[in-house]
Amino acid sequence: MDLAFTTEQEAFRRDLKSWLAANLARPWNDEIRNPSHDENSLVEVRRAWQRQLNDAGYLGMGWPAEWGGRGASVVEQAILEEELWRADAPQVPNFLGIDLLGPALIHHGSEEQRRRFIPKMLAADEIWCQGFSEPGSGSDLASLSTRAEPDGEHFRITGQKVWTTFGPWSDWIFVLARTDAEDRYGGITFFLVPIDQPGVEVRSIRQITGESEFGETFFDGALARREHIVGKIGEGWRIAMTVLGYERGVQTMAYPARFEGYLSDVIEGVRRNGTLGRADVREKLARLIVENQVMRSNGLRTLANLAAGESPGPESSIEKIFWSEYAKRQSETALDLLGPQAQLTTEARHARPDMDWAREFLWARAGTIYSGSSEIQRNIIAKRVLRMPTK
Amino acid sequence: MQFELDEDRSLLKQQTRDLLERESGSEAARAVMEQAPEGYDKALHATLAELGYLALALPEEAGGMGAVSLAAVMHEMGRTAFPGPYLDVLLASRALHDAGAEAHGLRDRVVAGEALCVLARRETLDDLSSTELTASCADGRLEATKQLVPFGAHADAVLVETREGLAICERPAAGWEANAQPTLDHAQRFAELRLSGPAQLVAGGDPARGILETVDRLAALSAAAQLLGLSERALELTLAYTAEREAFGVPIASFQALQHRCADMLLQTESARSAVYRAAWALDHEPAAADELVAVAKAWAGPAARSVCGEAIQLHGGVGFTWEYDPHLFFKRANTLEQFHGSTRQQLEAVLQARGL
Ligand SMILES: Cc1cc2nc3c(=O)[nH]c(=O)nc-3n(C[C@H](O)[C@H](O)[C@H](O)COP(=O)(O)OP(=O)(O)OC[C@H]3O[C@@H](n4cnc5c(N)ncnc54)[C@H](O)[C@@H]3O)c2cc1C
Repeated sequence: MDLAFTTEQEAFRRDLKSWLAANLARPWNDEIRNPSHDENSLVEVRRAWQRQLNDAGYLGMGWPAEWGGRGASVVEQAILEEELWRADAPQVPNFLGIDLLGPALIHHGSEEQRRRFIPKMLAADEIWCQGFSEPGSGSDLASLSTRAEPDGEHFRITGQKVWTTFGPWSDWIFVLARTDAEDRYGGITFFLVPIDQPGVEVRSIRQITGESEFGETFFDGALARREHIVGKIGEGWRIAMTVLGYERGVQTMAYPARFEGYLSDVIEGVRRNGTLGRADVREKLARLIVENQVMRSNGLRTLANLAAGESPGPESSIEKIFWSEYAKRQSETALDLLGPQAQLTTEARHARPDMDWAREFLWARAGTIYSGSSEIQRNIIAKRVLRMPTK
Repeated sequence: MQFELDEDRSLLKQQTRDLLERESGSEAARAVMEQAPEGYDKALHATLAELGYLALALPEEAGGMGAVSLAAVMHEMGRTAFPGPYLDVLLASRALHDAGAEAHGLRDRVVAGEALCVLARRETLDDLSSTELTASCADGRLEATKQLVPFGAHADAVLVETREGLAICERPAAGWEANAQPTLDHAQRFAELRLSGPAQLVAGGDPARGILETVDRLAALSAAAQLLGLSERALELTLAYTAEREAFGVPIASFQALQHRCADMLLQTESARSAVYRAAWALDHEPAAADELVAVAKAWAGPAARSVCGEAIQLHGGVGFTWEYDPHLFFKRANTLEQFHGSTRQQLEAVLQARGL
């Protein structure tokens, strides 16, 4: 057993921290409280930040040098994600492109596709969104019905995608579409589709937070070039499933770092309102700390296993359930311990200065739904880890 | 980085499993529980001594193997709901060791399996009321009434926490009154001890506090590791049973409602594994973080085991409520271990204190 970071990894963390101290102009918390910002200008703050990270070589770090990476280990990537949260840096706007599509292109794309798309993706010149879910297909994604029909050098895509995060600001969308109506899995193909064309329309959808970070995307004979198919026709499902696996692993230390930061606001709050001495408050606070530490222990274990060359595997479902369910418990407890002040939105008089619990409390409802809901994760654990029988 | 145990330690863990499966499967555990008045298998205790297991909690220079090894062995003991004073003896031997030369004679006999010595500390029956200790040891005379002393009725000696410090009291002919205190865990033995007679103070004031802090950390870690083992085995039993048992013409394991509960049992168990071994590793390599991480491990593993072992009974249906089937052995141990060696309530408080809160 060895849960220590190596000297090189510690050195990487030190360099990164001093880089962050020198380059991050304002924490995200300050940006969202700046009344001169709106949803669009905040996206520009994020875009500028992505460019800074990219220029410093911190994006796509695990990729080969040829594609902007530095062949960094998963441990270094995890350290990066952890420190970005600790520093309260803005999230890069192209996270779907970099986390999902980038690896898909590296592993399954053509040389030409990598050359065409990766540099602009990293530089935030082209923002990407993910077009998988449909009104009729969410958890049961393979039932999707958006179809793609060959038309000369193109395919024509018709159908509807929904919950497309960052759709309203995106230039391109990666789409799973049906090229064979009969073959449930083998009939799905992975397309790269430009959004700025007559056959595509993105409409914003208002979320429970009042924001419109996602949208719905309508395709009416939209054109996708043949050479913009990732992998072969009919390989879309397999590629999508490996791509969804990349979402895990490197984020493993980021969640506990993020929730540790939120916790300090709760601690500060109960100190200030003089309730830290109360037995019921202490018990609730301690439980939040315990659970967050356990989450970090799970993360270190996953990271150690990944570093030892093991794949994240279905056990990553445990981590997905853990952090997303914890986010709900944490924000509920925060509202309980901090009282109505925690319900104030940032623009309200006397809002808490460091933490927007009102928003976080609502956002926490999303984590157990996207990227495979908690129920789907439990199905995965039962079937693939515990090998429980199907009827 | 590596989470898996190194070769020596996984060998130790495997050897322990083999030994316990051979000598102390659930049949043997039941025999002890139902028939042995002293509550443990004396021959097995001697074997453990012979194999060096009783030195496990000593510092490495004195024959111990560090906290990760301790956790690995305790993990295995949890898997069999191992009955007997094993952990209690380890803790006493560590305290005797740390108390210094005067206590080393008894330490050696304990580690050799020649004498059974346990700690006698508790005076209250709950963890909420905090009262001053009444036990005293002055001029070589001990006056103490201690509650829930593990295996107190059968110990050859006790190391007693008194106002003056830690005192060794060897079982005399008179002045040693033991009143059995059976608990809901029928496989464990506890007693109230009323002690009045000669004793030897081996560590006073501050040293005694330091010794007990070390012991408390090892106790909490060991209990957490056992709780992990209990959960792990209870889940295995449940998976085996639900795969076999049929209802409505199918194995009950195919019902999604049960699958999701088993998934949650796995989440709790695997998270306990991460927390326990990380805490053990910290005790060996990252002492500044150890206090918090040990408390975290126990505060997680306790409620997790209570829940997992309770689910094991539920998912077994009627047979889960019988003496004959095993889930109750795990459920009972989980519930007592959660209360002892620093209850969840105390560990939660310890977590806050480790953060200066
Ligand atoms: C904030 C947010 C951002 C998102 N961003 C994107 C994006 O960028 N791109 C994209 O493609 N998608 C995105 N999604 C969509 C997301 O992946 C889906 O919402 C998710 O897969 C669930 O599908 P659904 O909404 O159709 O719910 P359904 O599948 O209809 O599920 C409804 C309920 O039924 C449960 N359920 C379904 N099947 C089972 C089963 N077999 N066993 C037990 N319970 C079951 C679910 O757990 C859920 O509780 C986003 C969602 C959210 C909330």
